[in-house]
Amino acid sequence: MSELSIVGQSVGRIDVEEKVTGGAMYGYDLVLPNMLHGKVLFSSRPHAKIRRIDTGEAKRVPGVVAVITGEDVPWTHGESIKDQPFLAQGKVRHVGEPVAAVAAVDEDTAQTAVSLIRVEYEDLPAYFSPEEACKPDAVAIHEDFNSYRKADFVVGAPLPNVCEHFKLRTGDVEQGFRSADLVLEERYTVPVIQHAAIEPHSAHAQVDPVTGRLTIWVANDAPFRALIELTEALELPKEKIRLINPLQGGGFGSKGGLKVEPIAIALAFHTNGRPVRVKFNRQETFVSTLTRHEAVVYIKSGVMNNGQLVARQMTIFWGAGAYGEKSATVCIRGSLPAPGPYRIPNVKVDGYAVYTNKPVAGAFRGYGIPQGAWACEQHMDELAQRLGMDPLEIRLRNVYVEGDVSYWGERLHSVGLKETLLTAADAIGWDKPRSNTVGLGLACISKPTRSPSTSTAAVLINGKGEVTIRAGTVEIGQGCNTILSQVAAEELKVPLEKIHMAPLDTDVIPFDASTTSSRSTYHMGNAVKQAAIHVREQLAEMAAPMLEVNEQDLFFSDGNVSIKDQPHMSLPMGDVIRRRLGTDGVLKGEGSYTFTLGKDLDLETGHSDHASAFYMYATQAAEVAIDEETGKVRLLRMVAAHDVGKAINPLNCVAQIEGGLAMGIGSALHEELVIDNDGKSRNSSFLDYHLVTSLDLPEMIPIIVEHAEPEGPYGAKGLGEPGLAPTPAAIGNAVARALGVRIYDLPLTPERVYWAIKQRK
Amino acid sequence: MKKKVEFLLNGKKTTLEVPSHRLLLDLLRDGIGLTGTKEGCGTGDCGACTVFLNGKPVNSCLILSGEIDGAELVTIEGLRCGPELHPVQKAFIEDGGVQCGYCTSGMLMMVKSLLDENLNPTEEEIRFALSGNLCRCTGYAKIVLAVKDAAKELREGSKG
Repeated sequence: MSELSIVGQSVGRIDVEEKVTGGAMYGYDLVLPNMLHGKVLFSSRPHAKIRRIDTGEAKRVPGVVAVITGEDVPWTHGESIKDQPFLAQGKVRHVGEPVAAVAAVDEDTAQTAVSLIRVEYEDLPAYFSPEEACKPDAVAIHEDFNSYRKADFVVGAPLPNVCEHFKLRTGDVEQGFRSADLVLEERYTVPVIQHAAIEPHSAHAQVDPVTGRLTIWVANDAPFRALIELTEALELPKEKIRLINPLQGGGFGSKGGLKVEPIAIALAFHTNGRPVRVKFNRQETFVSTLTRHEAVVYIKSGVMNNGQLVARQMTIFWGAGAYGEKSATVCIRGSLPAPGPYRIPNVKVDGYAVYTNKPVAGAFRGYGIPQGAWACEQHMDELAQRLGMDPLEIRLRNVYVEGDVSYWGERLHSVGLKETLLTAADAIGWDKPRSNTVGLGLACISKPTRSPSTSTAAVLINGKGEVTIRAGTVEIGQGCNTILSQVAAEELKVPLEKIHMAPLDTDVIPFDASTTSSRSTYHMGNAVKQAAIHVREQLAEMAAPMLEVNEQDLFFSDGNVSIKDQPHMSLPMGDVIRRRLGTDGVLKGEGSYTFTLGKDLDLETGHSDHASAFYMYATQAAEVAIDEETGKVRLLRMVAAHDVGKAINPLNCVAQIEGGLAMGIGSALHEELVIDNDGKSRNSSFLDYHLVTSLDLPEMIPIIVEHAEPEGPYGAKGLGEPGLAPTPAAIGNAVARALGVRIYDLPLTPERVYWAIKQRK
Repeated sequence: MKKKVEFLLNGKKTTLEVPSHRLLLDLLRDGIGLTGTKEGCGTGDCGACTVFLNGKPVNSCLILSGEIDGAELVTIEGLRCGPELHPVQKAFIEDGGVQCGYCTSGMLMMVKSLLDENLNPTEEEIRFALSGNLCRCTGYAKIVLAVKDAAKELREGSKG
């Protein structure tokens, strides 16, 4: 590839006109002919045996078509542990767990029937913190854990309720601590937060009464993974299940796996072929879909007087909530890089994912990195302070640079971390003196991506020169439709307006692993690029005899195939196709990209020589002032410097960084899904759960750093997740410097800051 | 209890029999099929369902259908003037003010309301006007930029 034309340009989104006119059809908007409406009875108990469910009265309500419980649907699901029933079976494990469901002619009728279902419970001891739940005398939340079907990497521990134990072992930490000039041990905590995509969750399902084929309409971020999970759960062949993906109104990790789908599907098997729509309201979305893992992080480090790290030990308890969901992989991929992007010769990490009686935790933008960073990056500042060092200096002394070997045994390349540190520090004015009431803080991270994984794509061009991309990446608001179109436009040299993204339907779109883990630009970008090149090669082969030259004498521009040095000798691409394939001919190119691991992650040491397709690096810096009378943290400025490899669309990169930053600020200052000792949420509404508003944000300064990743398309890495990962730690460090006292628990609410100030005095 | 209501919907006279207790939001979305008005919370906290009722922006999840007799309603589907996009819609596209787009309808209605009253808003006034409209994707920066650009476009348009 010589010079880039449209890659690297800040073109506007190709698919937003329908979003500004109200025409875009989201999952929550969908109406199907003759559809029924589903409503759910949720558990009111955090942990209890179900003694009896009486559905008699509910079934007698006129207009009710089906009333079902766990006895009617024996299936279970889960990404790596098959522990979650479609509807509760025999017991409930959190408040908000679906227990029974009704399908009726309208929502009011369904809700009336739900209110008539009677459940008798026998309460069991309940646990609301991961540390409590794995104490030796804790009662098992999953008595049958050992008999569940599980992935190979699921490793239990000799502790109650642990559903995954990740181990990293490098060098000898005890020896390291003995040789260190300073040893420091601390404990940090991160609470449960919720994704709070503005579109609540919903799913539609229908079972064809003739063929038995199941169709699901759902805004799922990984339709092919959902398809695989459903074939396993329902024991149906792939051909019997179809997922159609309407638009998604934000997800941030919450709309993968199976959430509302199991309820809609369970009902659809009992309605004689009528489709069922199940919509969760906001409160149900808060407690009955997914949350982010709470975490308790113990961190101990040994450091020399010159700031050099010699040993780090971490023990992390991840609160999995009531079911495994993605906890095993969050535990692995969150614990592995938790000691930070630093050269450390002796490292020991134990990550425990622990069942609790809280809402289910799972994938959330950042996949475990923000929790580790909240601890590690503040701990780095505490070390620096004790050594009398500048926080920037201690990081520069230890951060990964090109060619370093990470503590999991991988030689790193394309490492733009130091540059993000230096540019972020410069942009915030790190060296400029501030008044006493103002604090500066910074934090840096690295983040792996889901590996191994595969993306495949097809690119089609017709006799009018119109291009269609078939790719399984889900447009969840991140802009993939525009990015992938830019990639195809670049390779085919056609105008962006000529490119169309096919809607996502698992019957016709080729496989993609998932729209998660910031993986799409890299993996699907490569697949689309390859498919477009495949089209180009076939076009050249067809056009060469028409223009009476060799293929290598041709070039592509503005939708035409032309002879080099004789640009007037050219044919529109559409003409080439029509001449060769006929008026209705379509030319198709295919592409596929798979990243395979080097050595598989060793389960005893956590080592791998290539654990991730690429790593994302970022540094953020915060400037804060504190109102000492109220404890309110006033954010003055945030800088976010992100190494994206290559910005395919700089405007979109900036938009991703700003959006991530806002979410990070929310998690730093306001957000916590409060679960009381009765297991009930106290703030599952937008009135009580404080999302950032337009008034809560400071000046944001996004900076794009480009350290090209040679395997990525045009050098691109990923970007979706890191925007929120270092934010709370950067703010926490700034607050600590402004106050002179450290706060170890999120969020930094005025109340928490106020009491920290009181304690200091 | 059903009630007959007559109202103007995006400039068109509309007569319907509606259950009085039905939320205007549900009437628009499920009853009339105008799904551009979005449901985010159903409790008046997120602004995604903002429509104009007699020229004022309201959360349609807090209005009962029985209340709209004789009213004038404008939804996102009625924002554009003919085939042309409204300058506010154009600015949201050009400045990157739209990501997932689910909050966009309500956001645009609120912006229109602000600019109808004040064609030269300060950043503070813009942020205050939008503080009842939640967005989880953008961090609001590009939205605020789009409002400024739309205001400029409208100011220049009204001069010329």
